[in-house]
Amino acid sequence: MEALTKKKKKTVPTSANSFFLLQKSEVYSVEIYGTKELEKTEAGGGDEKYKDIKGKKKKKAEELKKELDLEDHKLSASELEGKYGTNINKGLSSARAAELLARDGLNSLTPPKATPEIVKFLKQMVGGFSILLWVGAVFSWISSGIQIAQGADSPFDNLYLGVVLALVVILTGIFAYYQEAKSTNIMASFSKMVPQQALVIRDGEKKELPAEQLVVGDIVEIKGGDRIPADIRLIAAQGCKVDNSSLTGESEPQPRSCEFTHDNPLETRNIAFYSTTCVEGTATGVVINTGDRTVIGRIASLASGVGNEKTPIAIEIEHFVYLVAGVAVSIGVLFFIISVSMRYKILDSIIFLIGIIVANVPEGLLATVTVSLSLTAKRMAKKNCLVKNLEAVETLGSTSIICSDKTGTLTQNRMTVAHLWFDNQIYSADTSEDQTTQPFDQSSPTWTALSKIVALCNRAEFRPGQEGIPIMKRVVVGDASETALLKFSEVLLGDVMSIRAQNKKVAEIPFNSTNKFQLSIHETDDANDKCYLLVMKGAPERILERCSTIMINGKEEPLDSEKAEAFQTAYMELGGMGERVLGFCHLYLPENEFPDTYSFDTDAMNFPTSNLCFVGLLSMIDPPRSTVPDAVSKCRSAGIKVIMVTGDHPITAKAIARSVGIISATSETVEDIAKRLNIPVERVNRREATAAVVNGMELKDMSLQELDEILCNHSEIVFARTSPQQKLIIVEGCQRQGAVVAVTGDGVNDSPALKKADIGIAMGIAGSDAAKNAADMVLLDDNFASIVTGVEEGRLIFDNLKKTIAYTLTKNIAELCPFLIYIIASIPLPIGTITILFIDLGTDIIPSVALAYEKAESDIMNRRPRNKQKDRLVNQQLAVYSYLQIGIMQSVGAFVTYFTVYAEQGFLPLTLLGVRVDWENSAINDFEDSYGQQWTKYQRTYLQWTGYTAFFVSITIQQVADLIIRKTRRNSIFQQGLFRNKVIWVGIFSQIGIALILTYGLGHVTALNFTPLRFQYWFVAVPFAVLIWVYDEVRKLLIRRYPGSWWDKNMYY
Amino acid sequence: MATLNEKKTCSERMENFRRFVWNPETKLFMGRSLINWVWISLYYLAFYVVMSGLFALSIYSLMRTINPYEPDYQDQLKSPGVTLRPDVYGERGLQIYYNISDNKTWEGLVTTLHTFLTEYTPAAQHLNINCTSDTYFIQDTFDGPNKTKLACKFTSDMLQNCSGITDPTFGFPEGTPCFIIKMNRIIKFFPGNGTAPRVDCTYVGDEPHPLEVDYYPVNGTFNLHYFPYYGKKAQPSYSNPLVAVKFLNITRNVELKIVCKIIGAGITYNVHDPYEGKVEFKLKIED
Repeated sequence: MEALTKKKKKTVPTSANSFFLLQKSEVYSVEIYGTKELEKTEAGGGDEKYKDIKGKKKKKAEELKKELDLEDHKLSASELEGKYGTNINKGLSSARAAELLARDGLNSLTPPKATPEIVKFLKQMVGGFSILLWVGAVFSWISSGIQIAQGADSPFDNLYLGVVLALVVILTGIFAYYQEAKSTNIMASFSKMVPQQALVIRDGEKKELPAEQLVVGDIVEIKGGDRIPADIRLIAAQGCKVDNSSLTGESEPQPRSCEFTHDNPLETRNIAFYSTTCVEGTATGVVINTGDRTVIGRIASLASGVGNEKTPIAIEIEHFVYLVAGVAVSIGVLFFIISVSMRYKILDSIIFLIGIIVANVPEGLLATVTVSLSLTAKRMAKKNCLVKNLEAVETLGSTSIICSDKTGTLTQNRMTVAHLWFDNQIYSADTSEDQTTQPFDQSSPTWTALSKIVALCNRAEFRPGQEGIPIMKRVVVGDASETALLKFSEVLLGDVMSIRAQNKKVAEIPFNSTNKFQLSIHETDDANDKCYLLVMKGAPERILERCSTIMINGKEEPLDSEKAEAFQTAYMELGGMGERVLGFCHLYLPENEFPDTYSFDTDAMNFPTSNLCFVGLLSMIDPPRSTVPDAVSKCRSAGIKVIMVTGDHPITAKAIARSVGIISATSETVEDIAKRLNIPVERVNRREATAAVVNGMELKDMSLQELDEILCNHSEIVFARTSPQQKLIIVEGCQRQGAVVAVTGDGVNDSPALKKADIGIAMGIAGSDAAKNAADMVLLDDNFASIVTGVEEGRLIFDNLKKTIAYTLTKNIAELCPFLIYIIASIPLPIGTITILFIDLGTDIIPSVALAYEKAESDIMNRRPRNKQKDRLVNQQLAVYSYLQIGIMQSVGAFVTYFTVYAEQGFLPLTLLGVRVDWENSAINDFEDSYGQQWTKYQRTYLQWTGYTAFFVSITIQQVADLIIRKTRRNSIFQQGLFRNKVIWVGIFSQIGIALILTYGLGHVTALNFTPLRFQYWFVAVPFAVLIWVYDEVRKLLIRRYPGSWWDKNMYY
Repeated sequence: MATLNEKKTCSERMENFRRFVWNPETKLFMGRSLINWVWISLYYLAFYVVMSGLFALSIYSLMRTINPYEPDYQDQLKSPGVTLRPDVYGERGLQIYYNISDNKTWEGLVTTLHTFLTEYTPAAQHLNINCTSDTYFIQDTFDGPNKTKLACKFTSDMLQNCSGITDPTFGFPEGTPCFIIKMNRIIKFFPGNGTAPRVDCTYVGDEPHPLEVDYYPVNGTFNLHYFPYYGKKAQPSYSNPLVAVKFLNITRNVELKIVCKIIGAGITYNVHDPYEGKVEFKLKIED
């Protein structure tokens, strides 16, 4: 590790911004070394893990060197000409360009190596239970082949069965494939960003070329509104600004010129990046990188390179498939051995094996799960959570950490005046979303003066034609602070525009970063008063420097040290709240010195800019959304840790975190404790601080262990000043804690983090297309509170899927037992394989989907997120209770029906034992029943089908009871309401309806093995259905009565 | 996600499994303490005992509702099945192939017939009474011994030339073989609606000569006094009446398809069931 740190230190320039680059190159190496590396590091546990990461870092450091080779921004124009063999005025020759194009390829992003559609399709065909069913189908065909060869009399039964099984697999495969095809390809949006045309100088002529024809060394011209066609080193620029938000997440347009301003190629002004937008101005530049070698190209390949993690629900389903498949195979093999040792023919044993497999596999379940998830997804879309990846629905429910952006997600994404300071007093302003008045005391003459400065010393304007719209929603031309001030004064003073018209502006110095103030000189609206009013606003300390007096209650008083102290205190306090503070001052220019003919010259500054009168302070903040504090406290009670990750200043971040409750009122950071106890930060016991504000700069120097420690020890964490690339590090850190991490993001560079997260959430309004594509979910209203409603839905669906699976698994036993008894007791087969498929894919489908509509049993937001390792979708209790209790009850009920049918037709139960061989022998056509009557083979077979139908009907009837009991897991059905979920009743009616149609409608189609059943046989299993309901009510009662007891532990699933 | 995606090696898996089976630290056997296992086993034992009890109770009450003399329904037994003796089944149903000159090929068939007819010896039939009436033998009361009903005697000598008594080889070596047609028993089935049902054998498909058949008893009828059948409990010694057919003009070395139908009211044929009301078979006699 030491060697590594040394190396890192050597290669990393100390500049603050170079971290961005370091991150980036580290991240790239993931792509370069491939996902194998990633897996390897994940595979190791404990120390080994870190060792691996160390190894990886070494390679990353080497990568870093390579990355820093980009030195084009340091070169002069002529050096550039030399390096790329081009001419700034004439451009490349067409021949040279063609040569380079042949060498480097098209200037476009390579789509990721897409899995061919057919492969995806075939994958669906062999995933999950499909393999088992294929085995079943192949066995069917083999045995049918053997039967044909042996000349048995009905060799085609097995052939058909095989075809049916194959059809089931293919149909469910098509369904799953269709679902998967709906999820979009991430590269699509990256390619959408590629500009179509570029203006290139070649052979000394300007040409419009498709951007993908660009090569290194081409001279291109860009103008406002264009997308940058490649990475470009600018050689001439006029007022050029680019919007880098798709790359860095900064929404402020960045000026671009041809000067080399920074060592870091990402920071310097003379490089414009592929796929960013030129907002205004024009520029000319040399292409230095094309296609995948551009910065964005690397991010794009990175986003598709970061392995998409398996979603928790996918893991759960896999676990469940393994479990059921394990049961199916072991019972199958066990009974294969039993039947062989019972001297059954191998062929017969194989046929038994098929039956056992088909009975054990819940064919319809995976489709049901998909449908349930998509129903929830629809419900979530209504609540502004658009889910792209179905499985993400549940992932959101198991989320244990949400890493949220601040701006726009937690906050309203607009500056608003929050506090004012005048007359030595701090006033609070209303910051809610729909303010129409302000409650603070506005009677002081100082306020009149202050409000005048605020209204006049402001360049922002409302866009015309918005009279009807509420002030807060109007569109403003101007920067964020000025917009805030404009809206603030519009609310308080009324029509600001007319005030400005009355106080005509005669001179103005706009804000710039060296002066740090803005100044304007106005005529006054008082006709008698001919003096000019000079108003000024800016950084408070700079404003104060220029003042000699201060206005208190409308009177100018000298600014003595006591008053300056008061100012300092107020400034610190407002600043400490994370607010952007502006100072305001004014001066009435004496009429004698500045008559109304006086011409003000802003360059010469022929007017006083000192000894002004200080009036007050205004502070602004991007205030939290009003729904957020509530949502955060909901997360807290739901055991979800909310981590704020922002690029903002730590103080602002902390203030917002406090106001929304991410840092709760009582908890302190290490710094807070140090301040309170008045001891150095180093001496504070870090364990005492529950909250932490981590600066991006600190994060950069942290080892993985240190990061893990922070994530582990603090429950309330804010990451401030983080680059979007660090998000990936934070996400990985959280995942190392075993958390299910949800991450919000909007920029292109967030996409690796969004991909890496268990659930990536993109912003619907502010988000870039790439972020939306990388994400699993899109928040249509950008509101944090919507995530929380999503979590609620996700938790509900997990519970409901449990119910669905429990419902589905139960009847597997009732389908399996017939085969086992058939083999052991040699009775006529109680239920056929085809009939089982009719239950699994017919009567049971709608009821199991209906369970997805079940309401929550209790407040699901009051329990902790499920533990991925322990709270499985299908746990031992669920399987055991379904298989060994309810399943057995169902089997008993179904067998009673079976024996009743046979007995009433002439075969008493005892007669049936051991008859299998003769029963199935088609050479015996005078088979005697218990009454001495004689049956032909066909008559017996028909009776056997009647038995199938009866067995089917009684499973269906008992599944109705099973459906009702599965509505709740703990509460009584009567607490939950039998009729609240109407869809359940649709399920019950559909179930019985399908059974009626199969029995009476298709009862004469012999191939389906259904016969019109005597009506009374429908009721034989009813007592058992009632028994199931009563038994389950007792179970739930005992669970409620004795929580934590042996019963609760063993019977609650 | 790292933790969940860990790829375990085989030995680790084995180790995990071993720990699952017996964890020495927590003293858990397959995830449960021993006492817990006892409890859960007891619970399941009790549960299954109760379930078995319920099942037994259900079957017991079912048996209570069952009439011991006749079944509640005869949904599948609308028309009787018909069987042939000797019965040799090939790929597609009955196939009787033999070679006159090779007595090994037909001795088995003859033995089958002899064995079949042992139930029809006078000794085997001594419990049954001689009936002479040509009408249904309807018995509303239990007139037989031990609360049974009487059954009519059918002895093999009624089959005359095909009884095996006059011709112990049933005409097989001569190429005029005897076959025995039997109608399945159905409780309270009245075939023929007053006229005795009879057997009629013909070729299936076109053959140059019509099939010449001798029927025994005369006309190949099943006498009505064998009907109705009252079930095993009421008529323990009942035996089905038989009709023997002797084919007289079988073309040698040709596979012939013959169908023997029982003709009479109430006897129907079913497209799905090759043995309902009729029996079809292939016959080939070689020399």
